[in-house]
Amino acid sequence: MSTVGTSPSATSSPLLAIEGLRVGFRAAGGGVIEAVRGVDFTVAPGEAVGIVGESGSGKSLSMLAVMRLLGSTAGITGGRITFDGRDLTALGEAEMRRLRGRDLAMVFQDPQSSLNPALTIGRQIADVVRAHRGVGQTEARRVAAEALERVGIRDAGRRLDAYPHEFSGGMRQRALIAMAIACRPRLLIADEPTTALDVTVQAQIVDLIADLRRDLGLAVVFISHNLQLVAEIVDRVVVMYGGKVVEDGPVETIERAARHPYTRLLRSCVPRLDGPVGPLATIEGTPPRLGRMPAGCPFEPRCPCREALCATEMPPLVAAEAHRLACWRPQ
Amino acid sequence: MNHWSQALRAVDWTGWLGAAFVVLMLGSAVFAPFIAPFDPIEVRLEDRLAAPDAVHWLGTDQAGRDVFSRVIYGARASLTVGIGAVVIGALIGVSAGLFAAYKGGLGDQLVMRIIDGIAAIPLLVWAIAIVGILGVGPVQIGPVALPNEAKIVLLVGVLFSPVFGRVTYAVAQRVVRADFVKARLLQGARHRDIVLGDILPNCLSPIIVQATLLVAIGIVIEASVSFVGLGVQPPSPSWGTMLSDARSAIYSGEWWLPVFPGLAISLTVVGFNLLGDAVRDLFDPRSEARTLVA
Amino acid sequence: MFRLVAGRMLSSIGTLLFVGLALFLLTRSGPGSPARIVLGADATQQQIAQFEESHGLDRPVLVQYGSWLADVVLRGDFGKSFVTGRDVAVEISASLPVTLSIVLLAFLIALVFGLAIGIAAALNPGGVFDRLARLGAVVGLSIPAFWLGIILIRFIAVDLRLLPPGGYAPLSAGLMVHVQTILMPAVSLAVYYIAVLARMTQASLQEALRGDYVRTARAMGLPSWKVVAYALVNALPPVINLAALSFGYMFGWALIIEQVFNVPGLSRALLNAISQRDFLLLQGIVFLFTVIFVLANLIADLVNRTLDPRQRSTA
Repeated sequence: MSTVGTSPSATSSPLLAIEGLRVGFRAAGGGVIEAVRGVDFTVAPGEAVGIVGESGSGKSLSMLAVMRLLGSTAGITGGRITFDGRDLTALGEAEMRRLRGRDLAMVFQDPQSSLNPALTIGRQIADVVRAHRGVGQTEARRVAAEALERVGIRDAGRRLDAYPHEFSGGMRQRALIAMAIACRPRLLIADEPTTALDVTVQAQIVDLIADLRRDLGLAVVFISHNLQLVAEIVDRVVVMYGGKVVEDGPVETIERAARHPYTRLLRSCVPRLDGPVGPLATIEGTPPRLGRMPAGCPFEPRCPCREALCATEMPPLVAAEAHRLACWRPQ
Repeated sequence: MNHWSQALRAVDWTGWLGAAFVVLMLGSAVFAPFIAPFDPIEVRLEDRLAAPDAVHWLGTDQAGRDVFSRVIYGARASLTVGIGAVVIGALIGVSAGLFAAYKGGLGDQLVMRIIDGIAAIPLLVWAIAIVGILGVGPVQIGPVALPNEAKIVLLVGVLFSPVFGRVTYAVAQRVVRADFVKARLLQGARHRDIVLGDILPNCLSPIIVQATLLVAIGIVIEASVSFVGLGVQPPSPSWGTMLSDARSAIYSGEWWLPVFPGLAISLTVVGFNLLGDAVRDLFDPRSEARTLVA
Repeated sequence: MFRLVAGRMLSSIGTLLFVGLALFLLTRSGPGSPARIVLGADATQQQIAQFEESHGLDRPVLVQYGSWLADVVLRGDFGKSFVTGRDVAVEISASLPVTLSIVLLAFLIALVFGLAIGIAAALNPGGVFDRLARLGAVVGLSIPAFWLGIILIRFIAVDLRLLPPGGYAPLSAGLMVHVQTILMPAVSLAVYYIAVLARMTQASLQEALRGDYVRTARAMGLPSWKVVAYALVNALPPVINLAALSFGYMFGWALIIEQVFNVPGLSRALLNAISQRDFLLLQGIVFLFTVIFVLANLIADLVNRTLDPRQRSTA
């Protein structure tokens, strides 16, 4: 499929390119509250990108926008999303539906509630296969069993007839990933896929995603609040704060030579794998509230290195080689 | 207090409309003698079957009685039965539910099975059958003679009690297991104080919601039983008997006879239903579906 | 699964035995011996004693109940009417089909319209159907069925002359004629339950559509009808449960509706039995209603447990 493992630069024809993406919620008064405020980044074929940030940073919302799954209360208010040369924001719902699950797929945080409790695992995977390929029930079941096997579920053929409640949390997440990869998409978006799981299982799921990426040539976007966890499998990390990208660079750079104060704080925090609040518990203050975004850098109120300019003007995202940074006082 | 005014502001117009209907009907029932322009019982054959006009706002019936006055007095029978049945049902059901949840063990099992048994009784059929067996005469308790409706109130009350028993039980069981109840026990609080002071207040909101919705059902039951002649006995005015009397008017065309008593029932029922929904939204916004059916 | 069904059935049978006894005691506690009614006011004491002896009324109530129950269970024999001397089972089977066809048609109408309106409303929140369903729920829940019946007779039968105002033609008289006679009673009966079921369907489906698994289904590119189907499998069990309960309740209201439309169903039989103190007939009819009601409850309960795979496997 494409190059695997190394970190391709953002300039080689990307699989996914997000440019100036804005996502807003319809406000009660009739206005729009923007939660994603101009996000740019790209994902090359086969590349694994981590998006890191606190809840409310806009990371999940950006990727839901890519899937065009924002629901009725939120919508894309600006920008372009190009997948494989096609502008997703311009596609009709029918075309978009055909892409979902076949070319790009997304798995979510809570495997408990993300599977249909009333249907067997096999039925749910087979339905995805049948939605995208004109195959019969038998063939779809065979593909489903294959997908289950690929995600490391033993005795997959028999497990097809199990209901979600008969699976453990980790197995459910595996089953969801099996649904996502059953039609061999080129991009897998994983939204905090390990947050709801036990610590020991988290590592297994991360390993599984890394394996799938290697074996299937998948590009992966891994959304997490946990920088350390993400660093294990991604090539590049995009750090988001207050609906904006604040830093973006190769994982080694972000780990060793991050320049944004927020990224440095994220990194220095003791990683806690078991709580949704995550490492940010030790950064003082709270993220800005929706609709109350400061005029300047969104991190300014909590930033230990802030100066006068930070409060009034948003620093631009400046690229230097493979690294991008939005900060007036880089460290 | 501030909490309450805030909550009340969240009630939408349908809730207020419901409350208005309920207050209107309650007012009619209580102040009927002051509101009704005519005696609801006195027969005046010379005035029979008059169409609505300035004197008889809603016309007169076959016996020359003023329909408006009868509708106003009819609210008494409806609301007495509806509210009375709910009060009796709540007394029985809530005590049973509290007892079962607090006692646990064999007593719990026994009480809840009895509640299941009562819930398995088809309400309307039994109400009709039992009044039919006992007869429609007044109930003599010592020197007091209660009208036939007393039977309906008691009967419907007993048959309503499982609803109250079950909601009380469900909430009370959760509260009984809560740590603060255990703590109160360890502090040596009396059982009565725990049940009435700690557990009951927690059950109140679902009880009030069910009560409001059940009044509506009770009113329709009273009207239905009266309609087949086993409820309120003539000449006492009741919406159900008025509709029963109006059946011949379907063909002869005195439209006001079937229309106004029916409207009175519907408005009252709408009132209690809307009020019940509003109360439920106030107490428990998450439970959207109405599961109460009769 | 088998154990669950068996357990529920046992407890239903227990309920019926208990309720049957209550009914038996009640029929014996009312004023006025049936002998007095059947034989007339000037019957001698001896004639009455003889009547009571020949009908077993002089035996202890529990013994009477036991033998009645044994006859019902073992031979389907509900005893003989005091008044007509005919088998109660025969009397009932003459009027049961009338009530049954009205209730079945009403149930069908309620189910079809309730589900359709509820689903349409849930799929377009804020849309026309949503508003209609909300308004309809308030109105439908508040119109007493028997009043609606009276209004329908006036408009449809008297003014528009589209349907007969009352009476009954059995199925043997032809399907069209049969349906014409039961359509208005069935509609009057159904309206309340359309409202109840639509409201439940809407709420249940709306909640299901908010589920994470629906988002997953969409993220995997399932067609939208399939996404709705995914939500429906989870939304329907409580609706079916409520529908089963409603079926039981409908028989009660059918009693009133039959009076409005002057239909020779169980209602007429029951009211006749009451006015003639025909205990065994009355008992038989009320017991039959109770059996139907308990069965509807049982089915509702089992539906709830069997449609949910989580409960199915733990049972």
